[in-house]
Amino acid sequence: MILFLRRTFPLILTFLFGVAGALQYYIPHPVSEAALTEVSVWLRIILGFAMILGIASLCHVHYAKIRIRAAGWGYSLVVYVSMLATVVIGLWSRGQEEGTGFGWIYTYALLALQGTMFSMLGFFVASAAFRAFRARSKEAAILLVAAVLMMFGRVPLGEYLIPAAGPIAGWLLNVLNTAARRGIIIGISLGGIATSIKIILGIERSYLGGRD
Amino acid sequence: MRELADKLLRMDRRVIFVLIALATLIPLLRPIGFPIRISPEVKRIYDHIESLPAGSVFVLSLDFDPASKPELYPMAVALLNHAFKRDLRVVGLTLWVTGTGMAEKVVSGIASEYGKRRGVDYTFLGYSPGGTNVIINMGQDLAATFPTDHYGVRTADLPVMQGVTSLRQVDYVVSLAAGTPGVESWYVYGKEKYGFELGGGVTAVIAPGLYPFLDTGQINGLIGGLRGAAEYETLIGMKGKAVAGMDAQSATHFIIIGLILLCNLFYFLTPGTRIRSFGSAQNSPGSPREAGR
Repeated sequence: MILFLRRTFPLILTFLFGVAGALQYYIPHPVSEAALTEVSVWLRIILGFAMILGIASLCHVHYAKIRIRAAGWGYSLVVYVSMLATVVIGLWSRGQEEGTGFGWIYTYALLALQGTMFSMLGFFVASAAFRAFRARSKEAAILLVAAVLMMFGRVPLGEYLIPAAGPIAGWLLNVLNTAARRGIIIGISLGGIATSIKIILGIERSYLGGRD
Repeated sequence: MRELADKLLRMDRRVIFVLIALATLIPLLRPIGFPIRISPEVKRIYDHIESLPAGSVFVLSLDFDPASKPELYPMAVALLNHAFKRDLRVVGLTLWVTGTGMAEKVVSGIASEYGKRRGVDYTFLGYSPGGTNVIINMGQDLAATFPTDHYGVRTADLPVMQGVTSLRQVDYVVSLAAGTPGVESWYVYGKEKYGFELGGGVTAVIAPGLYPFLDTGQINGLIGGLRGAAEYETLIGMKGKAVAGMDAQSATHFIIIGLILLCNLFYFLTPGTRIRSFGSAQNSPGSPREAGR
């Protein structure tokens, strides 16, 4: 019975929902559409539980770090304190942002912190470009020339100095980049289809937790 | 000469940081205002909104968080200005929980500038958990996905939502995205099945990856990065933060180009360095030797 619940039953569910989900797309019958509506609601509910699982996992990881005083455990404490403070203030503010403490946290903590993190990227990219972007091989030289052309062609000053820079950057994006990206997308999609078929048919079972 | 090259190659990174900071700050304080060329992919979004008759339903999905605000917020401002000018029915929402407050602020802020009434001319549906499933759910039954809007009013009772029961009745969707769920999700789970027209606005990092979708018509237009936002501001004749930021971006790009050229110049001034040829497995990118350098 335990084996059935652990292995066979999930495999049956996966097969049924996988095949039904794929077929549903090609059958625009009202019954099929009603089933999709119902399933899409259930999917969102399940994802809600996944969020709870994520929070529990986050708490567990950081609790372990604090308990054994691992390197940087103080940051884990910050995670706990800030998460709890946000939850408590959020509940106190009834989820409203306008003129509440919750709104204050959003505007003056989250917004500022995330903005700062992203802004710092520009500084590190510049430093990394100076140190690492060298024409050591012909491949690297081609990449370097393409990058310089793109940086030149995507800003008004570049186009002002060399009017052809914009169209060249556009050509790089529309032709060379698109061709390479299209190949990657086709490869990923074929891989996705193959993996889905393997999961639906029960060939790929790693999602069961490796206890089969 | 070699010592000088070595010394410059080992330049303190704080010098580079200061250069970038100055290149960003000075143009922002003293803008020059170089002309901005309009790219066809941005123009196509502008043209599509221009072609929509007044009262058409325009969904703006603000799928980003504050980290991407500098690039995507100006796009939202420009698109909302255009949509309200054209008297479209605007429906805002977000698939990113951390973007909710920011998204609400921009939608209601621009609406109030045009004297638009909440619930009548526009609404902000807010955030609903589920990521891409929210799009499927909206395609099936919009009121079930968002029973109330962000302000707690029943979605089905909103005059702005009259005649809109699912994504099938939406005329145009633009997703301003900083990742997933974003433009690709809106295409795969939304446009492909429910048949609305879709445009995208993304950060400069994501934009190159979406060009194949542009060529095939899976998205009808693409606003890429701050540059795209500046182009849109130019198109609607409302030069805002994106246009102001383009001078700073020009300066920083030129600083980085200069640094790359200097770095290579010094590199080749060092004796014994040369460009290696193609096909050398030992030295090819990704090889242990290449990684170790």
